[in-house]
Amino acid sequence: MTTTHPRGNMVAFHFRHAILLVVFFVMSIARNVQYVYNKLCLRIFSMTYYPNKSPQIIRDDVSKLGKLPKRISCIVSLRSDDDENGGCDGVMGDVAELAAWCLSAGVPSLTVYEYNGCVKSCVAELQNAVTKNLRAYFGLQTPSFTIKVPHTNEVVSTEANSGDADLEIAVLLRVDGKPTIVELARTIGELTASKELLPDDITVKLIDGELTELVGPEPDLLICFGPVLDLQDYPPWHLRLTEMYWEPDNNSVNYAVFIRALKKFAQSRVNLGK
Amino acid sequence: MSEWVSTFPGYSLLMSRIKKVIGSVSRTGPVPRHIGLIMDGNRRFAKNHQIELKEGHNMGFDSMAAVLELLYESGVSCATVYAFLIENFKRLKTEVDWLMDLAKSKLMQISQNGELCDKYGIRVRILGNFAFLPDDVNVVLKDIMHTTRKNTRATLNVCFPYTSRDEMAHAIRTTAEDANKDSGLDVDEHTLTDHMYTAGLPPLDLLIRTSGTYRLSDFLLWQCVPSLCAIVFSDRLWPEFTPWDMTKILFMWSFNKYWYGHGNGQTMRRVVDEPLVRAMDRTDLAQSLWDSDASASPTATSTGYKVYASSPSDASDITAASVVS
Repeated sequence: MTTTHPRGNMVAFHFRHAILLVVFFVMSIARNVQYVYNKLCLRIFSMTYYPNKSPQIIRDDVSKLGKLPKRISCIVSLRSDDDENGGCDGVMGDVAELAAWCLSAGVPSLTVYEYNGCVKSCVAELQNAVTKNLRAYFGLQTPSFTIKVPHTNEVVSTEANSGDADLEIAVLLRVDGKPTIVELARTIGELTASKELLPDDITVKLIDGELTELVGPEPDLLICFGPVLDLQDYPPWHLRLTEMYWEPDNNSVNYAVFIRALKKFAQSRVNLGK
Repeated sequence: MSEWVSTFPGYSLLMSRIKKVIGSVSRTGPVPRHIGLIMDGNRRFAKNHQIELKEGHNMGFDSMAAVLELLYESGVSCATVYAFLIENFKRLKTEVDWLMDLAKSKLMQISQNGELCDKYGIRVRILGNFAFLPDDVNVVLKDIMHTTRKNTRATLNVCFPYTSRDEMAHAIRTTAEDANKDSGLDVDEHTLTDHMYTAGLPPLDLLIRTSGTYRLSDFLLWQCVPSLCAIVFSDRLWPEFTPWDMTKILFMWSFNKYWYGHGNGQTMRRVVDEPLVRAMDRTDLAQSLWDSDASASPTATSTGYKVYASSPSDASDITAASVVS
């Protein structure tokens, strides 16, 4: 815009802004219609796909799929204590359900990301919650699982030998993302200062190895149990080829979203660079 | 159909007029400062339409120029495009050579007098690991960066050849070197951000991936994980991606930012643990302060029908209530 007619420009600006507001107004109506439609779809999906605490139903749903992810990662949100399914107990309940679905579907690794990491300090309670939920699904013969918190280096296992577990659950929080990479950069700085590491040795491979050690391997499928795809500072290194899934306007951890994510994943193709 | 229409006299003039109008309207509202584009689907497009691979890439480039024109008209100050990833060197040698030639000639073309860069004052920056490139391409790219260096209105980052992991490794390496030179350097997320190739640019607000693939494919991973960044996936193949599709995405982002205070749209309220708030680093605090400033813009209150929601959860309550009634 030129500065020759400031007043004319102001008028033109407000005129254009008025057009924009009209567009926004129309969009808000469309958005409300879409919201109702999305909620309706979600309701129908949750009636169509209902696990009913039976691993057999989940297995039947999964058996039609061409491929399964080896590692699933889920972004769950902490709700306020007053809400339904709120607080730390709500997150534990979500993890317990996800663990049961993964075990029934035959996915050997589950990573749960929660921004605050509220369950990191109550791993024992989490283990109880998961065991309890698995009983509801599998009866007394519950599959074995391990819970790992990479941030505190804590590992809890139902088996004596943690390598044999049917499911590996890892709990991630914000600190496992960028702050861990920062920490790694600091360490590498110190190592290069003391000449234990040459700058040329700092390769993608080295960093990948370190971060896999510190945080875990890259997931194949990331399910975001929120109304929009919001990565919430998820560890950036681990998102390279991860398939992402979310259901618009969904705000709970439910089986319909989980199984639809698996279906979507089964259809996807990876052809990196080729 | 569209090709047939585009042969009409005055078509390109009309298109650029329309873009000007759309741009002038959309720049009166919230506009993303930095947009990332993953231009995927050129090869699939060529295959589906049974045209030569070369031609597919060529059309992809034209599509990019058309979309960029709209973006800069709309007041976007920075665009980052994913042109070539390091893994692309695995492709057939003839195709790689052809892509290199295409990049050379097209980038030269847009940076010439009177073309895109000149028209919008765009500074072209090539981001990536130049060690992988042949010498002649390197020379040309350096030349392009040099000729456009004085442009300040907007920036076009061409990622060539790039992967985000390589960028992060580069950032860690250079940070380590700097920390050794200056022992007082306190390494935090800021420091690393400043050592990425995108240092000094505004934070990424919008990332678009075409061709119906729901992956980030090693592009701007560090920059896109904050909640501030909206990620949009489009089902269109890149050569089919028109400025009109871009307009829809741009208006959607703008609408979401204006209506819900968040480019992503209607989000849940984030519950943050008290101890964590205290431990939060400066980056986040500065960012959230900036956000609350932005949401208090005068345009938000001048509307009669809706006052800016103070938090995303309020917005969702309102919508839910209106749905029920």
